[in-house]
Amino acid sequence: MTVLTAKLTALPPSTHPFAEVVQRLEAGGSMLPDSPENLMQIIGIYKAYAVPMDFYWRDLLYIAERVFLNPLPAFKYFPSQEYLDLPNSYAGETADLRIWRGEAGAHPELLEFMEKGETRRMPKLLHHLWHDRINMEFAEACMDAMFWHQGMGGRFYDYLESDTYKANADRAIKAYFKGNPLMLGLHKLFPEMFLEQVRKLSYYANLGLFWEVMAPVFFEMSDIYDEGGFSGVPAAMDFLVNGIFAVAGRPIYHHVYINGECLEIIPKSEGFTWLYEAALPYVEAVFYRTAPFRGTKSYNAQAGQVPADQADFHYGILYADVFPVGSAGIPPTLLMQDMVHFLPPYLKEIYLQHRRGEEDQLIQLGITFQRSMYNVTSAVIQALRAALFYPLDDPDPEHLLANRRFFESQMDRFLRPEARLRDVQTQDYR
Amino acid sequence: MLLLLLLLPLAAALAMIVAPPGRWPRRLALVIPGLQLLLMVRMAVQPAADLRLEWLPQLGLDFHLGQDGLSLPLVGLTALLTLMAVAATSLETPRQRLFFSLVLITNLGLQGALLARNGLLFVIAFELILVPTTLLIAIWGHERSRQAAIRYLLFGAVSGVVLLAAVLALDLLNANGFSLAYDDMATAVLPEGSKVWILGLLVLAFGLKLPAVPLHGWQPLAYSEASSPVAMLLAGAVSKLGAYGLLRFGVGFMGDTWEAWAPLIAVAGTAGAVYGALNAIAQTDMRRLVAYSSLGHMGLLLLALAAATPLSLQGAVAQVLAHGVISSLLFCVVGLIEAKTGTTEIAELSGLLNPLRGLPFTLGMFLLALIAAAGLPGMVGFVAELVVFQGSWTVFPLPTLGCLFASGLTAVYAIRLFNRVGFGKLDNAKAFYPATTWGERLPALVLSALVLVGGLWPPLTLGWSESVTATLARHQPLIASLPAPSILQELPS
Repeated sequence: MTVLTAKLTALPPSTHPFAEVVQRLEAGGSMLPDSPENLMQIIGIYKAYAVPMDFYWRDLLYIAERVFLNPLPAFKYFPSQEYLDLPNSYAGETADLRIWRGEAGAHPELLEFMEKGETRRMPKLLHHLWHDRINMEFAEACMDAMFWHQGMGGRFYDYLESDTYKANADRAIKAYFKGNPLMLGLHKLFPEMFLEQVRKLSYYANLGLFWEVMAPVFFEMSDIYDEGGFSGVPAAMDFLVNGIFAVAGRPIYHHVYINGECLEIIPKSEGFTWLYEAALPYVEAVFYRTAPFRGTKSYNAQAGQVPADQADFHYGILYADVFPVGSAGIPPTLLMQDMVHFLPPYLKEIYLQHRRGEEDQLIQLGITFQRSMYNVTSAVIQALRAALFYPLDDPDPEHLLANRRFFESQMDRFLRPEARLRDVQTQDYR
Repeated sequence: MLLLLLLLPLAAALAMIVAPPGRWPRRLALVIPGLQLLLMVRMAVQPAADLRLEWLPQLGLDFHLGQDGLSLPLVGLTALLTLMAVAATSLETPRQRLFFSLVLITNLGLQGALLARNGLLFVIAFELILVPTTLLIAIWGHERSRQAAIRYLLFGAVSGVVLLAAVLALDLLNANGFSLAYDDMATAVLPEGSKVWILGLLVLAFGLKLPAVPLHGWQPLAYSEASSPVAMLLAGAVSKLGAYGLLRFGVGFMGDTWEAWAPLIAVAGTAGAVYGALNAIAQTDMRRLVAYSSLGHMGLLLLALAAATPLSLQGAVAQVLAHGVISSLLFCVVGLIEAKTGTTEIAELSGLLNPLRGLPFTLGMFLLALIAAAGLPGMVGFVAELVVFQGSWTVFPLPTLGCLFASGLTAVYAIRLFNRVGFGKLDNAKAFYPATTWGERLPALVLSALVLVGGLWPPLTLGWSESVTATLARHQPLIASLPAPSILQELPS
């Protein structure tokens, strides 16, 4: 409150169309209004998101490190027990930095679901074919978005074009296809073919390592909320900001295990870190950009519905129309279906009370997810402000003005009509 | 049994006055047509004997009721559509007792006209329908419902007066003596010069009721401004009385003069079919689109009546039944869409097929009704249209081709409408539509089931009237020389 008063006296009110949101950010708040229901919704969905995310990161690393260049990766969504037991670096007794107080292995609810699904106990393959499973297709869509959108800051993408990377990848390709003259011959004939696939696999590793951090963060937030620990949306956002800074330096790498040998395609020594090489590109690619949904909506590029410049893409969750969720070909549908299995009871209760209740739960859930991602984006914006600009209670009005310009420039990205920032300001948007 | 069919709605309509408010009026209104349906099934199995009571002999008015293959299916259709219209009526409808009593009086008028075996009794029943339906349009309709009701009343009143004149002329000029009994009217000996204009009066009276182009001035407005249950009754049952009248009085009583008017009726039918279809394509409102679609399909009916072959007349009865069900289904579904979205403007709707937030089930039934109206095989509309075209082709080949073309246009506006309303994106600002409940879907579901059953089992629409239409047909020898259509070979004798 002291901070807010000091700032309000130091600067005249913002004239930005989202002045109210700017003011909230300047007061250390989130883009999402602070209300008990918003807090309940975002924490509830973090929990529901974290359980499938616990599977996503394990399987992404499994694909990047073990499945690797398998030409027929029919079982890539069946991670080995080793990867299900893989200790999370930020949970459990052995963690370097214990963010979540729970165990380091796969989450118990995840293991239970993998065994029985929503149907009944049956062979894994039948669960898979029945889509009674965690859908990795969404995780791969996020990875594709990160891989496809370039120039989002950091050095990671440029490194994939470096000679060092090419040499490391070439060594891994040759080791993987050792004794397979057909594949080695193909590699000789088309040297870029497998290399491009390895680049993609490096993004599998990148995203897997990013989510390895986020899953325990969300689990811990859920536990704190259950214990009555968060006073409001800004407190939840602060937890995220602190988490971002705590793990910002976490290395991003790509190792591959071939015949028991670990080959380093992107060694940890390259110094790629979690915040700049994974978190920020992820937010930019997945929250802001992504690509038009394939399947139900035909975007007409000639009519300018698909921008020529990838930086102008605005199909991410912060802009997404979640109404088509449930329709075929909409990737977030699979995410919503993944989350619906793990909804906490209080969130289910909210959905039953509004709109069509259980019938359109996936869409209500999608809108909650949108709200929660506005909160995560707020945390990223606040973290960037803290890293690049000035404290919110800085006594120098020039510094406060610089902060405001930063916030306003961030809000400019939501002036587009399809941005949902306006919508999430009210509780009626469900 | 025949008397019971009329006493039930009459007693219920009167009982509405003392019925407690709440759900009782609706329950009562549901029970009556349900009982009528049971009676109709009983009558189909065991035909009821004629009921003849003297009423005003000095006026030639007998209370004479009877059933045959022409009236029985329409009695069933009327009962069914009354039941569906009541079931489709919102629980929030204001002044329910008055609403349902007017619906039941309409039902009484329709059943009375269909069962009547006396010309004047028919006219009385025919006129009885006008007042309750006018009130139903005016009180429970949309923004321009009063204007629609006045126009409907004027056209209806003219139709009634013209009909009365025609019926009286038919009997006053009868050389066999004045009698309003159907049997006597069918064998009336009329002066040669008067036959054409008496038939002209009948065509005008029933053409106004049907309605036939260019006598349709009341129809698009009335159908689009009436509430959905009322539009279901108007399009599905009330307008069909026009077709019944043309068949009973025109083809039946004035058969030897029918050929004088038949070419003109056939041309009017074709023009109506094309005009209705083209107007339907141009509409921006779903209600008006369905209204013009209905008008177009009346054109096919007129063509079949004009041809007056056994097959075409059988097709006409089938078309009456098929179109009764299809048009009711269309208005029922449009009403559901309006209740949930608050609009029937095509431009304001899109993405209703969205599985979670749209109305996919309702749109599915809408698609079913549209493709049935377009005459897709497997649907009840196909059976009726096929027989109409087969029956009419030999007599009026060019008008038949015209109607075939118009029938093809049905697919154009059906696809156009469905594409705009069903596909695309739901509007984020507006599309917080509530879902339809099973109770709300039930009337449309029953009608959809009939659309399918009637398509897969043609005797449901064709089997009732075979013997009657064969008797009425004017071109029996011509048709007899052609190979029998396979569809008829499967019909029960």
